Amino acid sequence: MPPIRDKFTIHSKAVVCQDVELKGDITIGAGTIVHPKATIFAIAGPIVIGSGCIIEEATIIVNRRKEVMRIGDENLFEVGCRVECPSIGDHNTISARSRVHHTVRISNHCVIGVGCLVVPIEDEVLDDYTIVYGPGAERRKWSGRGKVQEADLRRKHADYLREMIPKFNRLRRGDGI
Amino acid sequence: MAPSVLYHCPCLSTSDIPPPPHLPSSSHSFHPLNTLFFCEECDAVRCNRCVSVEVSSYYCPNCLFEVPSASVRAEKNRCARNCFMCPNCRNTLAAVPADPESGDGRIPAGVAEGPYIMYCNYCRWDSAEIGITFEKPTGLAAQLQKYEDSAPDSLEFDRLKEHFDAFLRTSALAASTSGTHHHSTHHSHSLHTNSITAAASAALARDIPGVGKYNPLARSTTGRGYGKDRSVNKDEMTEYRSRSEIAQTAGAGGGEPDVELMNSLEEVGEVASLEQRWENSWVTPLQTKQLKPIRIPLHSKRSKRCPACTHILIKPEQKSQSVRYKIKLMAANYLPGIVIVLPHMRQLRDELSKRNLGKSVAAQVDEPPPGMVAGNTYEFQLNLTNPLYDPIEVRLSVQRVHVSTAPGGTAEKARRPPFAISLPTAKFPISPFAEAWEYEDDEDMFGVEDDELGIGMGSSLSASVRGGREKDGRARPKTVGVLERKANKTVVGGEVVIGKEAQGNVKFNMLVSYTYRSDDAEGGDLGVHPSKPEIRRFEFYTVVDLGPIISREEARMDL
Repeated sequence: MPPIRDKFTIHSKAVVCQDVELKGDITIGAGTIVHPKATIFAIAGPIVIGSGCIIEEATIIVNRRKEVMRIGDENLFEVGCRVECPSIGDHNTISARSRVHHTVRISNHCVIGVGCLVVPIEDEVLDDYTIVYGPGAERRKWSGRGKVQEADLRRKHADYLREMIPKFNRLRRGDGI
Repeated sequence: MAPSVLYHCPCLSTSDIPPPPHLPSSSHSFHPLNTLFFCEECDAVRCNRCVSVEVSSYYCPNCLFEVPSASVRAEKNRCARNCFMCPNCRNTLAAVPADPESGDGRIPAGVAEGPYIMYCNYCRWDSAEIGITFEKPTGLAAQLQKYEDSAPDSLEFDRLKEHFDAFLRTSALAASTSGTHHHSTHHSHSLHTNSITAAASAALARDIPGVGKYNPLARSTTGRGYGKDRSVNKDEMTEYRSRSEIAQTAGAGGGEPDVELMNSLEEVGEVASLEQRWENSWVTPLQTKQLKPIRIPLHSKRSKRCPACTHILIKPEQKSQSVRYKIKLMAANYLPGIVIVLPHMRQLRDELSKRNLGKSVAAQVDEPPPGMVAGNTYEFQLNLTNPLYDPIEVRLSVQRVHVSTAPGGTAEKARRPPFAISLPTAKFPISPFAEAWEYEDDEDMFGVEDDELGIGMGSSLSASVRGGREKDGRARPKTVGVLERKANKTVVGGEVVIGKEAQGNVKFNMLVSYTYRSDDAEGGDLGVHPSKPEIRRFEFYTVVDLGPIISREEARMDL
């Protein structure tokens, strides 16, 4: 295996802390916030993260596949989650200490509950509005009511972090700057 | 399982000596120290099994509102404010304004307007799924009250209550007017009816000495004839007719509609799980979409009393926000705490952790808990902590188990793990408990004390222990006896010799007796009159479980 070549493309409006472990070819979109102590590993293929995402502490995002791992816009990765999905849509929440395997693709507006393991053996796509919750990782469909509320809250959350994080952390800039 | 020490509460048996640990009754008489209470008046240990419990206040666990006990029954033991449980996952529900019909997805900065829905943050259930919306986000329970009250089951129950109410009132009244022996049996009934009316009618109908008894309900002037009294006779009750036929009641189960439902079933999720259904007390709906949000059940704070002297052992503060106690007589503050350490287990664990250093966390969990191999000798350490502000002298003794006296002698003997415990039999001291800030000044004092102890120890160590050490003849540290003294802790070493054919757990009863200075002597100088009669003695039994014995064959297989 050839050594991993680091190439970080970080949008000028993104907030990425210095104390973040990045490896491989990584692109981070506008307004995305990466807390300190997060880990993003592009072992094989590159990772592309959209805009407005929040990636909290101790999150691990890994791409083991050759193809590009695409993460959409306004997703929330909570503390200590581990994500290896080849693709993630928009407005998803991956809750604290949950784990999503590389066999799962996530569409839009999905929620992986706290501590849930989503580790199917066969490839699977989570439809829009799928909620995984509970100790047995049960699934249900969300009606979508309250999503405007949630999107609004997510935006405020990101705005707040964008203001506060640079006050207490050194930031990382992309290769271009 | 980790080695454990449980403490004896003698409430279940008449004798003070606990049952031997291999009997099933043993596990009922022994409790962890942190669950036990200590009654100062009786000078005895009390457990949760023997204390009498009374409710001191009710509160909602979600909004922490204290519910006066008078309204608890009227509110059916559930929170009557804004707290609801998700019918799907039993999380608490939040009241949120529904999304605006149109717009760019941004909520206008002004005041959010209704309608409001209940929304579960965990599983994303919302009340609009079952067609419940609210005008305003407060007093949700009151807004839902009409649904609850108009439900056929609660109407039926109210009717049933009404039906029996008349009967109960008349019988209570009859009981209060008739003889005293009847009174006691009916007293419990009268408590359930309106107690004010019952008290009033009882007062009116009280016997007046010298005046002939008049029973208005029985319409008989002879008070003695209440046996034939119509009002008392249960058989005379009018027949109750239910509001609706049982088969028609929704969710009553069975019948054609359920069969139809099952035939058209597409997903398992459409049928409510047992856990979801059990939350509902009356009707347990079959379909998930019929589940309704439920008001959160109230919790209570309870105080406990000693069964013998009725003194309060533990009493929480009235406020639901407070986690403090007004009175708290825990056994842990009176009896020395004992923690068991197995040095060989610690070594094993250290080795394991070294080996697992490079591995993932999951691998560590799979390791089987190492036990003790039959035929070997193991050492163990008892870590005793003194919670008292006075020094104590402790003596440990292992209870002998007379298997021959136990019923079913031979079979029992064959199964019982033959092992021998050696523990120091002499008294040893434990220093008093002192607040942390006191240690700083006393540091040099401890050195002196340890020296003294060393001299004292030589003479007080029992012959058997010394013999054991001499026989070893090696220069390894001693294993039986007082190993370490530090602050209010003393570590005592012991040894267990396990027989070759042993099975089961190494489990034995141990009597701990200790002497302490009673409270009256607190004012006097400590240590000046050590042999004064104000020194008191207390003893209690514990059961020590050192863990399972691994038979030799198994041990070999593992290797």
